[in-house]
Amino acid sequence: MNRELEKQQQPVVTVEDLGIAYETRAGDIHAVRDVSFEIYRGETLGIVGESGCGKSTVAFGMVNYLGRNGKIAKGNIYFQGQSLVGRTPEELRTLRGDQIAMVYQDPMTSLNPVLRIGAQMMEVLTVHRGVSKEEARERCIEMLGKVNMPDPDRVMERYPHQISGGQQQRVIIATAMLNNPALLIMDEPTTALDVTVEAAVLDLVDNLRREFDTAIMFISHNLGVVARVCDRVAVMYAGEVVELAPVRDIFANPQHPYTQGLIRCVPKIGRSKSSSVLYPIRGRVPSPKNLPPGCVFEPRCDYAREACRTQKITFRPIEQNHSVRCLFAEEIDPAAWTPSEDLMPQTLQAIPAEEREPILQVDSLKTYYKHASSSPLSLIGLGPKEYVKAVDDVSFTAMKSLTLGVVGESGCGKSTLIKTIIGLEDVTGGKVDFMGFDLKGSVNTRDMSTIRELQMVFQNPNATMNPSYSVGNQLERPLRRFKVVPKNQIRSEVIRLLRAVKLDEYYYNRLPNQLSGGEKQRIGIARAFAGRPDLVLCDEPVSALDVSVQAAVLNLLSEIQQEYGTTMMFIAHDLSVVRFFSDYIAVMYLGKIVEIGPAEAIYAPPYHPYTESLLAAVPIPDPTIQQEHVRLSGNVPSPLNPPSGCRFHTRCPRRHLLPNDGKICETEEPPLRDAGDYHQIYCHIPLEQLREFEPVFEVPAEGR
Amino acid sequence: MTTAETTAGATLPAPAASEPSRWKKIKEGLSFFSRSKVALAGLILVGFWVLIALFADNCLITPRCYVGMVQGDDITQWATSEEYQSWLSRYSPVEQFRGRNREGPSADHWLGTDTRGRDIWARLAHGSRSILTLAPISVIVALIVGGTLGLAAGYFGGLIDEVMMRILDAIISFPQILLYLVIIAALGASATNVVLAITIAGAPGIARLVRGLALDIKTRDYIAAAQTRGESPWYIMFVEILPNARGPIIIDSMLRMGYAVFSIGTLGFLGLGLPPPSPDWGSIVQAGRSAIQAGRPWEALWGSIAIAMVVVGLNLIADGLAEESQRYR
Repeated sequence: MNRELEKQQQPVVTVEDLGIAYETRAGDIHAVRDVSFEIYRGETLGIVGESGCGKSTVAFGMVNYLGRNGKIAKGNIYFQGQSLVGRTPEELRTLRGDQIAMVYQDPMTSLNPVLRIGAQMMEVLTVHRGVSKEEARERCIEMLGKVNMPDPDRVMERYPHQISGGQQQRVIIATAMLNNPALLIMDEPTTALDVTVEAAVLDLVDNLRREFDTAIMFISHNLGVVARVCDRVAVMYAGEVVELAPVRDIFANPQHPYTQGLIRCVPKIGRSKSSSVLYPIRGRVPSPKNLPPGCVFEPRCDYAREACRTQKITFRPIEQNHSVRCLFAEEIDPAAWTPSEDLMPQTLQAIPAEEREPILQVDSLKTYYKHASSSPLSLIGLGPKEYVKAVDDVSFTAMKSLTLGVVGESGCGKSTLIKTIIGLEDVTGGKVDFMGFDLKGSVNTRDMSTIRELQMVFQNPNATMNPSYSVGNQLERPLRRFKVVPKNQIRSEVIRLLRAVKLDEYYYNRLPNQLSGGEKQRIGIARAFAGRPDLVLCDEPVSALDVSVQAAVLNLLSEIQQEYGTTMMFIAHDLSVVRFFSDYIAVMYLGKIVEIGPAEAIYAPPYHPYTESLLAAVPIPDPTIQQEHVRLSGNVPSPLNPPSGCRFHTRCPRRHLLPNDGKICETEEPPLRDAGDYHQIYCHIPLEQLREFEPVFEVPAEGR
Repeated sequence: MTTAETTAGATLPAPAASEPSRWKKIKEGLSFFSRSKVALAGLILVGFWVLIALFADNCLITPRCYVGMVQGDDITQWATSEEYQSWLSRYSPVEQFRGRNREGPSADHWLGTDTRGRDIWARLAHGSRSILTLAPISVIVALIVGGTLGLAAGYFGGLIDEVMMRILDAIISFPQILLYLVIIAALGASATNVVLAITIAGAPGIARLVRGLALDIKTRDYIAAAQTRGESPWYIMFVEILPNARGPIIIDSMLRMGYAVFSIGTLGFLGLGLPPPSPDWGSIVQAGRSAIQAGRPWEALWGSIAIAMVVVGLNLIADGLAEESQRYR
């Protein structure tokens, strides 16, 4: 947007020096300080930052929804030229009218589960605008059509639980758009959704902005998502905006050291750990109770100087449309940046293909859950037996000392697969061969040496440690149990483990609630590696962490893997992370592996149409990369009654390539197509045709 | 070596390598009462009777008193012995003052005297002893039984859960007072049987609570981590699950303790409590009941107030705990 245009146009919302404080027993806590920005019509302003940086607080401040102890301590918010600060709730209502709408993170909790979708949507019009019921209904159906909801008529009659998460989010967005708001605030609207659904919702957001000319404030922690939908981006750190610039500038020419750090710690799509490194930002976000005296980022900044420590830094423009909160922004050249010594990751040695040996061989593994059918006979155990086929006929081989990544949408059986291997679920059929042992039955039937060789790293850092025991206590337990070291050396071994995950000795007596998410995840990793296992199964170990912490944990995992020569299975829904970390990748859909092969082969044609759609949906933190537009329709079908033939046929965007519009896909299981080098694709489309697919995106040249 | 995640600004202080001292733990516990006004009121009400129970006479420093209690001697033997000295109770609970029956409060007898001319204050003071020991013991026993059943039902699930909970439901379906009556009537009135009755009536409720907590906690990742270490179910139940369920369990037991005091009072009132001449609070109310219409409500009134003080006090502490635990959730 150029200057002349800006002058003609009045911003929809202007935030000036906004400060938000929460009153606590220990005095006011200033969660947000000196935040200024404006949003124009038809513009999307992205707000990014790690958790605890005050992103959501700003949003809540704008709609005056700060809770009992929150208050706007300073500054002003102008909405369409009128101040929103210091007004009573009634005045605010008339000022704002229905001109500001908000979309929250979790679609399930934003809809009332006991009301039909239609009733909830129509209420917005009938109650606030006095529109007649018939007209309201018509407008709701029209709006549902605009958010690409299939069959809007019928959706109006459904209850929220009867539609999928992606559709729920569409309903919420449609409801928000009903009054044609001037400002739409979206707080992490896609974080709870799968990549494929996320991509569709992001497309929708972009279309709506164009069509309705709405100003959108888009909050996200995901740089890729922001890169896809935003025009301008404000980077927030510890309650302050540290950089504000057009999206291309933010990614191509970041000026603030924090922005640079954020971009450096996200894995680039198509890069692996052998060809690139992640540089985590050291330290962590300071608590608003305990801010550094000068620049808030100074303690973590590689360029900090004396001047940074003593004075508050002002937010100043350095170029047109590009402002930054840094004293030395002009002097910092991100290209000349070198990682400090303790962040230097080790160089990884790749294991040559001929030396790779299998450690885990899974042969047509099946895990079914019994499902009580709705028939009244099942009450007395006579009803027809129904099974949820969570993992159905899966075969693969994991190579020693290498990582096998598993990707797929939620509900495709990734977690069940590794839970079956480790023995938390019972094997329904098939065989798991681990170093010559046949793994069957649950953990308690296995002998101690097998149990010791298989360990797991969990997803949720807050649930991975028992909150009642100290760190040392919880690390000692596996050591005692597996008799890793003699009794008198247990303490020193725990300290060695702590050091291995880059934590100091004094963490020994810490309780889990005194640790940050990243620290808890490190302890979880230390606990998994305590018994020196041969195979570690990681279930989304980094997906709940902030990007800078994620980078550190990924580095740590690969370092430990290198040191012990451990084999890993790595589940993640983020395809950039999986690509970065894995040597082999298996793509799962509805309990089946649709494609498996070396990581680099998965990300380039030939690939399975499902892999292609996943790749097309990944949000890439680089607005210059052009992604092919492939979107999946519909939802993952129920594993209770999976589609016949190829399970993907109901959603496959490439089916029309086959004669008779892919009749064969509905009737026959897809054959295995071997693309060589252990790259296998299960698809009816011949390999030659698969090879001809356009790559989803050009992987940028290697290098930093 | 610095960690990758030292806090920005001031680094976290490295604490000394020792566990927090006992004194610090006690101080933390006390600071809870200074934060919560409700709990403090409760503590004062209950603490009053605890002090009275401890220092009613010189039992605390006289070994023979304990021996007598363990052997099950009734209070008369101790209260009339050579060594007996009244402290806070002022008089012996069995001493009968001739010609001073059913008197109202006076300087001699603060709360008046009962039908036999015994000092009511002395009897209440001694009566607090039995009630303040029986109530916690019965709740603890109920907690052990109910907690174990609930943990097993919640953790194993399936048929074990189904069978156990149905049996417990059957017990719950009887009115509690009926259960007490049946058990005491069948087994006879004694301290042990009172504990037994309260355990049988209380355990199902505790089992339900613990089962619910176990169902929730067993889905956490650290339970899966313990399972992948091949830990035994009992280890997981008692070491991994139970400590994390302690908050609600403690609050619930405080409330239950109140109910137990109430129940023991009720049993005494119905003549199923401790046999006379024990100064049981329930029996004091019962004995005083007939005098109310004669215009001498003192005995019944004081007994009821004493029971109410302890019950209300325990409930207030439970409220304070619940409030506090929610504040930090």
